[in-house]
Amino acid sequence: MDQKTLYDTIDPEILTRVNARQEEISKGASINSKLAAALALGSIPVALAALTKDVFAQAPSDVLDVLQFALLLEQLEAEFYDRGVAASGLIDAGDMAIFAQIKAHEDAHVTAIQALITGKGATPNAKPTFDFTAHGAVAGFNFSAGQYETFKALAQAFEDTGVRAYKGQAPRLINDKAVLTAALTIHAVEARHASEIRRLRGLKGWITGASRDDLPAFTQGIYDGEDNVMQGGVDVSSLSLTASNGGVDAATEAFDEPLTKAQVTAIVMPFIATS
Amino acid sequence: MAQKNTLVISSADQLLEARTRRDFLKVLGVGGVMVLLPTALAACGDNNAVTGPRPGSGNALTIDFANGDFAVLQFAYALEQLEADFYTKVVAQFGSSGLSAAEQATLADIKNHEIIHREFLKAALGSTYGFTITTTYPAVNFSSRSSVLGTAANFEDLGVAAYNGAAQYLSSTDYLTLAGKIVSVEARHASAIHDLIAPKTSAFAPKTFDDAFSPTKVAGMAQGYIVDKLAFANAPSTFVQGPNNNG
Repeated sequence: MDQKTLYDTIDPEILTRVNARQEEISKGASINSKLAAALALGSIPVALAALTKDVFAQAPSDVLDVLQFALLLEQLEAEFYDRGVAASGLIDAGDMAIFAQIKAHEDAHVTAIQALITGKGATPNAKPTFDFTAHGAVAGFNFSAGQYETFKALAQAFEDTGVRAYKGQAPRLINDKAVLTAALTIHAVEARHASEIRRLRGLKGWITGASRDDLPAFTQGIYDGEDNVMQGGVDVSSLSLTASNGGVDAATEAFDEPLTKAQVTAIVMPFIATS
Repeated sequence: MAQKNTLVISSADQLLEARTRRDFLKVLGVGGVMVLLPTALAACGDNNAVTGPRPGSGNALTIDFANGDFAVLQFAYALEQLEADFYTKVVAQFGSSGLSAAEQATLADIKNHEIIHREFLKAALGSTYGFTITTTYPAVNFSSRSSVLGTAANFEDLGVAAYNGAAQYLSSTDYLTLAGKIVSVEARHASAIHDLIAPKTSAFAPKTFDDAFSPTKVAGMAQGYIVDKLAFANAPSTFVQGPNNNG
């Protein structure tokens, strides 16, 4: 809606929601605080502005778009771990319990998100054909025995991406509490996976600065922006106690950063076969 | 066989455990006896003893949801204060904890993160909405690796469930994103600590979906470590459950 007038961007679906919301308000149902504040000021234009902003975030098509996007990421992860766990001699026997658990989670996340999409009256997108060489960037990777280090590196890349992807989409779910809460509970599980795999690879479970550590250069987009220290208008690197508690490194580790859908798409596209 | 009607208390800590209390009531109910071994009292006065005020025995700390998003931030602030204080005590007692150097490095990192979370929320809330809680650890032995790690795992799991469950009460997308930035780091912590306790198992992520707990449920669980009496005013009447339906 950056370049258009507000009126131009309002589609019938949203207007339906506005009307529904107006009914709620006239019935005295709960209203958000900005709207309440605006109404208290007696300003109808301000109240309408608050309402408009609110309904934009909860447009049903927005929630569906997030779910289809999440489904793609989960399909990517699920197929990756399905193939990894099934591959003979790829995963160290001592680590199998870890990857079997992650595989089971990603499979279940796919099923759960498909159910959420179906529940919204839509059809889940079909799984695309994936290319785990990332169009050749991970040359020769085909889940063969002896490729365990590459497998773990890719796992880290996918999990760290997943955490940032869900985080970036959460605001678009703010008015669909059921989907928001479900997404957050998956988001946290992806973070647990990321931490485990990073530690398995000898790294910290958290991301320091914008470092991709030992991952190849083509993964840098997964870590760009993780060095942000401005949180809600507060520079957390210069809080009085930061210097004596890990400094700037800790300040960046303490907050994971979101990625936009476009940023995540750019990261994921190489893993989708061009056919 | 252990006498069913006799409850043996070897450590004062046991008196504060729910299971012990249950047994205690059971024993009283059948006219049994409770045996206080000398160790129960001998422990008093050192670091492992029950010291300080009882949980919930202090002044009321009321979080008023009429303050909207600030109430959610205040709730997070209370939890981050607890975590930061806990890890500060853990780090201070590294020398006697039995934790390996690698484990100490991990916990020191986590301490830093929690202090930064706390200080960030302190700055965000300002003097209008800020407060300081008093902590207490009646059942934690800071000189015991398993007690420290077990408590840390509980705190991190609870933190994840708390943010997941409270997010639905935020009306600002900016604050929602901020909560998201913190909760995934708490989840990374939870995973790491479970991995220290049970390496190379599925313990780092035991569930397909993490929990999402209502503020009321979280407050009930956190109260065991907080002297102030946690309370809510104008608490939301509805809570949207997560997939685990246990909040």
